[in-house]
Amino acid sequence: MDFANIASQLNAGTILPEGIVILTLLGVLIVDLILGRTSARWIGYLAIAGLFASIVALYFQWDAPNPIGFTGSFNSDDLSIVFRGIIALSAIATILMSIRYVEQSGTALAEFIAILLSATLGGMFLSGASELVMIFISLETLSISSYLLTGYTKRDPRSNEAALKYLLIGASSTAVFLYGVSLLYGLSGGQTELSAIANGIATAKVGQSLGLVIALVFAIAGIGFKISAAPFHQWTPDVYEGAPTPVIAFLSVGSKAAGFALAIRLLTTAFPLVAEEWRFVFTALAVLSMILGNVVALAQTSMKRMLAYSSIAQAGFVMIGLIAGTQAGYASMIFYLLVYLFMNLCGFTCIILFSLRTGTDQIAEYSGLYQKDPLLTLALSISLLSLGGIPPLAGFFGKIYLFWAGWQAGLYWLVLLGLVTSVVSIYYYIRVVKMMVVKEPHEMSDAVKNYPQVRWDLPGLRPLQVGLVVTLIATSIAGILSNPLFTLANNSISNTPILQATINSNVKAQNLLPLPKLDSVSQSQPSVDSTAKI
Amino acid sequence: MNIANFPWLTTIILFPIAASLLLPVIPDKEGKTVRWYSLIVGLIDFALIVYAFYTGYDFSNPDLQLVESYPWVPQLGLNWSVGADGLSMPLIILTGFITTLAILAAWPVTFKPKLFYFLILAMYGGQIAVFAVQDMLLFFLVWELELVPIYFLLSIWGGKRRQYAATKFILYTAGGSLFILLSALTMGFYGDTVTFDMRSLALKDFALNFQLALYAGFLIAYAVKLPIIPLHTWLPDAHGEATAPVHMLLAGILLKMGGYALIRMNAQMLPDAHAYFAPVLVVLGVVNIIYAALTSFAQRNLKRKIAYSSISHMGFVMIGIASFTDLGLSGAVLQMVSHGLIGASLFFLVGATYDRTHTLMLDEMGGVAKRMPKIFAMFTTCSMASLALPGMSGFVAELMVFVGFATSDAYSSTFKVIVVFLMAVGVILTPIYLLSMLREIFYGEENKELVSHQALIDAEPREVFIIACLLIPIIGIGFYPKLLTQMYDATTVQLTARLRDSVPTLAQQKDETVKVSLSAPEIAN
Repeated sequence: MDFANIASQLNAGTILPEGIVILTLLGVLIVDLILGRTSARWIGYLAIAGLFASIVALYFQWDAPNPIGFTGSFNSDDLSIVFRGIIALSAIATILMSIRYVEQSGTALAEFIAILLSATLGGMFLSGASELVMIFISLETLSISSYLLTGYTKRDPRSNEAALKYLLIGASSTAVFLYGVSLLYGLSGGQTELSAIANGIATAKVGQSLGLVIALVFAIAGIGFKISAAPFHQWTPDVYEGAPTPVIAFLSVGSKAAGFALAIRLLTTAFPLVAEEWRFVFTALAVLSMILGNVVALAQTSMKRMLAYSSIAQAGFVMIGLIAGTQAGYASMIFYLLVYLFMNLCGFTCIILFSLRTGTDQIAEYSGLYQKDPLLTLALSISLLSLGGIPPLAGFFGKIYLFWAGWQAGLYWLVLLGLVTSVVSIYYYIRVVKMMVVKEPHEMSDAVKNYPQVRWDLPGLRPLQVGLVVTLIATSIAGILSNPLFTLANNSISNTPILQATINSNVKAQNLLPLPKLDSVSQSQPSVDSTAKI
Repeated sequence: MNIANFPWLTTIILFPIAASLLLPVIPDKEGKTVRWYSLIVGLIDFALIVYAFYTGYDFSNPDLQLVESYPWVPQLGLNWSVGADGLSMPLIILTGFITTLAILAAWPVTFKPKLFYFLILAMYGGQIAVFAVQDMLLFFLVWELELVPIYFLLSIWGGKRRQYAATKFILYTAGGSLFILLSALTMGFYGDTVTFDMRSLALKDFALNFQLALYAGFLIAYAVKLPIIPLHTWLPDAHGEATAPVHMLLAGILLKMGGYALIRMNAQMLPDAHAYFAPVLVVLGVVNIIYAALTSFAQRNLKRKIAYSSISHMGFVMIGIASFTDLGLSGAVLQMVSHGLIGASLFFLVGATYDRTHTLMLDEMGGVAKRMPKIFAMFTTCSMASLALPGMSGFVAELMVFVGFATSDAYSSTFKVIVVFLMAVGVILTPIYLLSMLREIFYGEENKELVSHQALIDAEPREVFIIACLLIPIIGIGFYPKLLTQMYDATTVQLTARLRDSVPTLAQQKDETVKVSLSAPEIAN
């Protein structure tokens, strides 16, 4: 058996994008080792170039005829490609905004980027992992890198505290997840591959046993921790407040997207027998997240803590799509995560810029910023209004698609709750905008009064500016010109065989509901028919 | 390009928005360039509106005209589809007219002028879009779209409690509008096809209990906007704090969105439920008229007084919608246009008075007529229009609603007698509080310090011009209402016929309040 034969059997090309990220990671480390601190000026660009190359590789994998790699461990289907793209993009934006931030905090940039790239790697592998060991390893890669990133500013005691909290809660949630996974392994008769687990459980005739439900709940606990859904959210506000801001930008988008990718793959593939149960559990999580996130965010005085609760609430909205479990439901999740990527990173870039210039994160200190820095005010306003779902920004279309899909799937109460809480959310988002825009010159905060001259030519600020402008433009027009994103989200779902199987079974299940209009609606979508190819 | 196929409405909507995006790059000295630029944009857009309707709109055709439809997000079923019929057309013209005048009224705004005109121009397009769109999801989008500009217009340029008022406004409206989305989604998914096109939705055959639920949802959303008591409490705050140009938009156009949507969605799409809800609308309308008029009495703040009088006048719109007669519905539309003009003129004058006296408290005014005869004359004329003096548009509109409702054959005569009596009481209350208001501002005990103050100058030509522009149509409609009614009658007559069709089917289901005897003579128009 020659090497080429093994390679073709393993289908190693499926992890080409991750391979590029690994090479970049090694490149960053070696360059830093050889050149030392002098490399700090362009090492960030090296990493970004690598990530872009990885995205290009992802693009060429789209609709690959044989996406299964490593005899079933890794599935590079379109669903995973979209999620890996989101994670890579969030890493790029994070690097853009971190160059200046890390320099100013007096720590080494190359190490930061190396750890960030390994977190990205973990997230990307997690998006495609379809085997329990693979899932666990990539989850751990992501988690451990995240702990390191959280505590990266070593001299800041809050960063250390946040890292310790994150580590303790994270480790215990990983342990719970691992226990759930081990139950799954046992119940399926020793299978680790997700589809084999489903078959194994079905043939073992354990049905909806207690063990399966426990495995489910434990697995959800692990996922809930990653996507920071209430009640597994306790780490979020503290970590967001203490960790370096670029890190939480990555955690709020990249890490969360990886969590959702895991949720979709694990739940739909391994737990089809308890579909009703996991929908129920997720409904509870969504309700709690939306209510808790939006209500507690009202009372926050720190910008970062407010965004922490806002990200909990946003996770609640995204879960509506997961619970809907239809073609439109999954597509709306992906669409929302795509626009969330832009608007949230735009917001975080603004916060970083503000704290670089003034050294504070308090909401009250933003007051009167319009007079001093119109671009920053515009960008932060747009991103916050978009998060609040104000048309015609991207967030509005994301939310309306989620609610649309939820309503179509008959989740009336959940959608109603989502709408009510998003009205609540407008209050706290617009409060910040009001602070910046409405306050008159004499009401300016001290931080804004002493605001330095706006300069972009300092080292490391150019990339930040680029990141800011790109995310700002994307947030502003991704709503109006949302058609490509909608098409991307929909295609990624309709080209993913594992999801088409569940969507089909859902449609059958919904036939039993006393809602005759729904099945006709779902059947009118051409994508449902494409399941025939499975 | 063929003139008939030119996308007029899209151009009219997008032109001011596109023009507003250019504002930040316009070189500006003390806000003068910016305001001329905005005024010219406003005038061009108004000219476009008039030209488009003049060339492309057939008054005798009751259906949608100038229709355009392009797919926007096919995955959602969201289409950019616009069109105008007799309900939209007068309100689109009104919007262009009032907004352009509001830009002119904003001449003295010197604080952050670029942002101000940016928001006003963005509002311009957004408001027209509300009246023109023919897709439910798109309607929700544009309905939400004007929230943010108004929020900033209120909270940056308003009175002392402006931020409270602005927040209250945005939360009320956003809270109400979620019902639009829910009802729109429910309607869209109902039946065999997913569609959000208003005309297709109107053809869907909804079950009755379904219609009732949808109607209730829409009613909540539009009751916030119209406003209908008890969902009106944002209005006195918002109107009490806004500056004159913003005020003209709020009273002149934003309130009409509620009335328009009530006719467009509740009456046109859910006629069966309308038959059930019509008596509720009548009762709420009467409550609006009486309660708001009485509350207006007690207000010592000039703006709040006029704000309550607006609420009172919108009661007639509801009764007109619920009258099931051509005349009543026509009166409701006329009342919207008429109040748009009168409300805008009154609020503009309140702003002009405030600019001089620097107080809104009636107790602190008095005896300023001597120093400001022109403002006094204009204020009196506009108050007369508001209290429905014969010969002014308010009188015609209210009379049409009165007669329309009184001759309606859909209600029992006892009910009609009580309602007409209460409406008449409301009509009597209006002159009492408006005239006493005039007396307190312009006559009454002189506030020596105020009257001798040198800032108390009379109206400048710009102000006289604005009021003249508003008074000409008010008086024109007052003397010859057909001038306006003939423009939209075809649509309202068709709609009334449809509404009446849905009543007899309900009569068999033994509903007490809706008694039908279609033998009564038809009201000719």
